Amino acid sequence: MTQLRPDIFDEAAVRLDAVTLRYDASGEILSGIDLALKPGSFSFLTGASGAGKSSLLKLLYLARPPSTGEVSLFGRPTSRLTRDQLSAMRRRIGVVFQEFRLLGHLTAYENAALPLRVMGRKEAQYRADVEELLAWVGLGERMHKRPETLSGGEQQRVAIARAVVTQPDLLIADEPTGNVDPEMGARLMRLFIELNKRLGTTVIIATHDLGLVRQIEAPVYHLANGLLVKNAPEAGKASRRRGDGIEIKASE
Amino acid sequence: MKRAETSLLPLEDAREAALFFVVGALCFLAALAALTAKSTYGAARAWTAEVEGEYTVSLSDAAPQDAQAATLLVQSVEGVDGARLLSEAEISVLLEPTFGSRGLPADLPVPRLIAVTAAPEAGDIGQALTTVLEEAGYLAAVDSHSAWAGDVRRMLGTARLVALGIVALLASTAIAVIAFATHAALLARRDIVEVLHIAGARDRFIAALFERRFWLLGLRAGTVGALVALASVALLIAVARTSGNRSGLLPELTLDFPDLAVLVVTPVIAGLAARIAAGVTVMRALKSVM
Repeated sequence: MTQLRPDIFDEAAVRLDAVTLRYDASGEILSGIDLALKPGSFSFLTGASGAGKSSLLKLLYLARPPSTGEVSLFGRPTSRLTRDQLSAMRRRIGVVFQEFRLLGHLTAYENAALPLRVMGRKEAQYRADVEELLAWVGLGERMHKRPETLSGGEQQRVAIARAVVTQPDLLIADEPTGNVDPEMGARLMRLFIELNKRLGTTVIIATHDLGLVRQIEAPVYHLANGLLVKNAPEAGKASRRRGDGIEIKASE
Repeated sequence: MKRAETSLLPLEDAREAALFFVVGALCFLAALAALTAKSTYGAARAWTAEVEGEYTVSLSDAAPQDAQAATLLVQSVEGVDGARLLSEAEISVLLEPTFGSRGLPADLPVPRLIAVTAAPEAGDIGQALTTVLEEAGYLAAVDSHSAWAGDVRRMLGTARLVALGIVALLASTAIAVIAFATHAALLARRDIVEVLHIAGARDRFIAALFERRFWLLGLRAGTVGALVALASVALLIAVARTSGNRSGLLPELTLDFPDLAVLVVTPVIAGLAARIAAGVTVMRALKSVM
């Protein structure tokens, strides 16, 4: 296993040190994961269904703590943070859930604006921005519809709008293009790349769509048997290291 | 025009309607129990005050003129507001439950009775009456009704405690029900709570959503319960009045300012209880997640 360099600790946007995860009495879902991602990096996370991609993402968006090891975000070990500090850190993270997780009683506009309400912003301050964002993802005419009246692809775009509306420092997306046509998929990927390039958002995209992975020059992590492997052969591509990409790989 | 923001919690569903009914019913019962406790307290005070200033002097083997003289003597005692010698007819009425309506047996040695009323601030004059009559040579017994008044006070005190106990029991039941319902609501809306949590909502922010929802639920349900209690008491008063108000030993039913205050306070207490129960339940549940 590769040892992390102590000097990159402070500069990593995401850092996992010897992280394991197990649910109750079950075996380890994740085993001894080490990882460090620079601020402004763009990475893919691949792996078969059940490999633990969603579990790893849950650790990254602070939905649960690791069983052992440490998860550090933006240079701060999360195990040492108070509940309010954890909430503040979550506000720097945008998450696109695989199953969207939109609130059924809110409209597309209200769902997209949810993180801003949580941050205490007034509607007058964000209304125009949210409407513009929804128009950009092709929901300008349907922003006042509830999720149940939207197609799967439309719901996915609302979920993406909700994740990026705060221009987060870290964007975590779980199969973000799984329910949209290739054209919209490419458009959404351009949105992620734009956030990454223009705002320096650190982007992690979990997908099993190798076609999507091949389209974009970005480091790939592959999860298999609870271990994280960088640019694994089974991901179907050679190592394509970017200057702003992944610094460390584990269990190679 | 400014558009109102949609609540981050969905509008009430069937589960909340059931809870509304339960809380409303509990508030109705609690308001009735509180009103009963207050009425019992008022009745106890009225009844004991009524008998505590009353004395009955019983003269054995006294001729009519001696009884009249004794009555005049009693009237002269300090603290006596009035004294009246009961007629034989009045004594017959008093003994009618024992001897029937055909009158008293001729050979029955019936004592002469003097009804004495003490002045309001006189205190206990029973011993003074006994002393004066004994010194004057009368064979007299003075009954201050203290035993009866004591029994009434004890009975009504117990009834009042029972009513207050029922109020406390109903209130704690309502709080327990609300806490249970809040927990169920939290579980049912776990998906919403999780999304808010991951979006960076602080625990207090999420708790405040539930607190506001349950405060309003408690307030509304409590108002309905209190209004039904008010209607019930008003109906009982109306029935009591139309039937000649012969309620006798039943606690007197009233609707005065303190009663109305009880009815106004009931929904506020229900709302506050619901709010606190919701807040504590949500904060505790959130502590179990990261």
